[in-house]
Amino acid sequence: MSEVVLENVTKKFGKLTVLDGVNLKINAREFFVLLGPSGSGKTTLLRLIAGLEEITSGSIYIGGRKVNDLPPKERNIAMVFQNYALYPHMTVYDNIALPLKIKNYGEEKIKEKIKTIAETLHIEDILQKKPSQISGGQQQRVALARALVRDPAVFLLDEPLSNLDAKLRVEARAFLKSLQKEVGITTVFVTHDQSEAMALATTIAVLNKGVIKQVGDPYELYTKPMDIFTAGFIGSPAMNMIPGKLIKEGSSWKFLSDDFSLDLSGIKFDNETETILGIRPEHIVIANDQGLNAKIKNVEPMGAVTYLEIKVGNTELTAQYTGLVKLEAGMDVKIRFVEDKMLFYDKKTEKLINY
Amino acid sequence: MKIKLTTVVVLILLVLASLVYIFPIYWTLVTALKTSLEIFTYPPIFFPTKIDLGNFYQPGNVFGAVSQTAIGSVPWMINSTIVAIFATLISTFLIAAPASYALVRYIKSVWLARLILFMTMIPEAVFMVPFFLIVIKLNILNTWWALIITYISFTAPFATWLLMGFFNDIPKSVEEAAQIDGLSPYQIFYRISLPLIMPGVVAAIILNFISCWNELLYALILTYSPFPSGAQTVPVFLTSFIIVEKSFAWGGLAAAGVFTMLPTIILGIIAQKYLARGLTLGAVKG
Repeated sequence: MSEVVLENVTKKFGKLTVLDGVNLKINAREFFVLLGPSGSGKTTLLRLIAGLEEITSGSIYIGGRKVNDLPPKERNIAMVFQNYALYPHMTVYDNIALPLKIKNYGEEKIKEKIKTIAETLHIEDILQKKPSQISGGQQQRVALARALVRDPAVFLLDEPLSNLDAKLRVEARAFLKSLQKEVGITTVFVTHDQSEAMALATTIAVLNKGVIKQVGDPYELYTKPMDIFTAGFIGSPAMNMIPGKLIKEGSSWKFLSDDFSLDLSGIKFDNETETILGIRPEHIVIANDQGLNAKIKNVEPMGAVTYLEIKVGNTELTAQYTGLVKLEAGMDVKIRFVEDKMLFYDKKTEKLINY
Repeated sequence: MKIKLTTVVVLILLVLASLVYIFPIYWTLVTALKTSLEIFTYPPIFFPTKIDLGNFYQPGNVFGAVSQTAIGSVPWMINSTIVAIFATLISTFLIAAPASYALVRYIKSVWLARLILFMTMIPEAVFMVPFFLIVIKLNILNTWWALIITYISFTAPFATWLLMGFFNDIPKSVEEAAQIDGLSPYQIFYRISLPLIMPGVVAAIILNFISCWNELLYALILTYSPFPSGAQTVPVFLTSFIIVEKSFAWGGLAAAGVFTMLPTIILGIIAQKYLARGLTLGAVKG
């Protein structure tokens, strides 16, 4: 079991900087998720760890060993690709056996290892089939088996769930999480799906445009996103962002937007600034008597929750209400923001300023 | 059931087009089965009244001025088979497969690729004299090697060009997976990539075999006697029916033609299947 350390890792393709001075420490046995939109450099980062791309500057350590100049096969890593990349001309058994054959394992040993891994992944009955004869979910398990059978130090996964349909994806997600716990291999998982990241990770690193925005556990990232990008990227539906100003009146502070103002009794700031107020949909409360005047534009009952599109003046907001609620489009309501859940970001630096 | 007019028109056009290709084959076959009398009848007979196998085999026969039947082509057939097999296998496995892989994965030169395509378009006659001189210098005139070497000059570029397309279609991730699984670049080539493009390899082999089998010009100038004394091939044998002492041995020519056509027709049918399969090669699930 190895930890992975990245020091000042930079990757350029020609003049294009894909990763810019990335520092990360991935602990042993951790389920580490690299999360970012497409083009953020997350897959490149994974390929650098795998050794499929050459690093432009910086260092990568796997289990304390500097691996910058080592080819993939000497890094003791395994990787599962988005399209699984099974060998189409070989049976499932031969697909899993190939990495062992290359390592000169004996026939008996290979048989034994495949038997164990096939049981773990529930693929015993498809070992003699070709990849084209099995389902997408099964192909994914075979790809996992091929990766795990070598007992790698680090397990790299590049969006392995994105080719599965929605129902299968949730199943595979749960399976993957329990599998990782069971085998206890340091895992780096790349995804653009924040809910997948939240569900799987022990630690998430949010990437945007080649830069690490924030590293933390899912709880931390959700409750205290340190900048506007992370705040907007994590959580579905997305956090409401309201531009405005922070103004001091006497000893207390006030948030002033184009459409409304809020008295902030419990929060203190250093100075008056242009700001963006972030508030998650579940922290907008429909109040009975006092609050901001709002109009309901649309109601989406999902069952367990109800999403409400509401308008305060010209500001459009999404609110989330637990359970079903008897509200209709066009109704006038009063709303209130939960004060200790409000996040204020500096408009220029886009960094969190309260907390 | 309603049939669309366009479908009918397209179908008629297709039938007409295929007739253009099928009729010569049919005509060769019937001519081979006709007696000499029916061959020369005017107006021509499209369906022979009686089948005569004399053009294929006749002990001590005499037909026109040529005392040959199709069965006499066997010594030439032996040469053709050996030359075609060696030229095809050497050019496919020793030259084209590694060359096309290197061009696709490592060299990535568009100009070199175009040059290879250009090579396949140069008419054979251009190299006739240089090849003759080379063969004389190497002292291999009238041997299998004279033909094998010269045939490789057109089979290798063609196979290289064909296989490049197939290698290009292999998803990079499959080779990267192999790289991570610990395979060396050489192992990736012969354990993963080459088996994956087998449909392409088979298609290249068959198409090249056919062009070697049909090759006449080089065989005509580089060989002068049949097996076992020389390396003359079947197309040269066929020419012996055409003008011999001012006479045309149509029956014998047609019969020998049917003989020579058989391997190419069979291989052509197989090649078609492999080409179609090659194009739908499903390496990864899309």
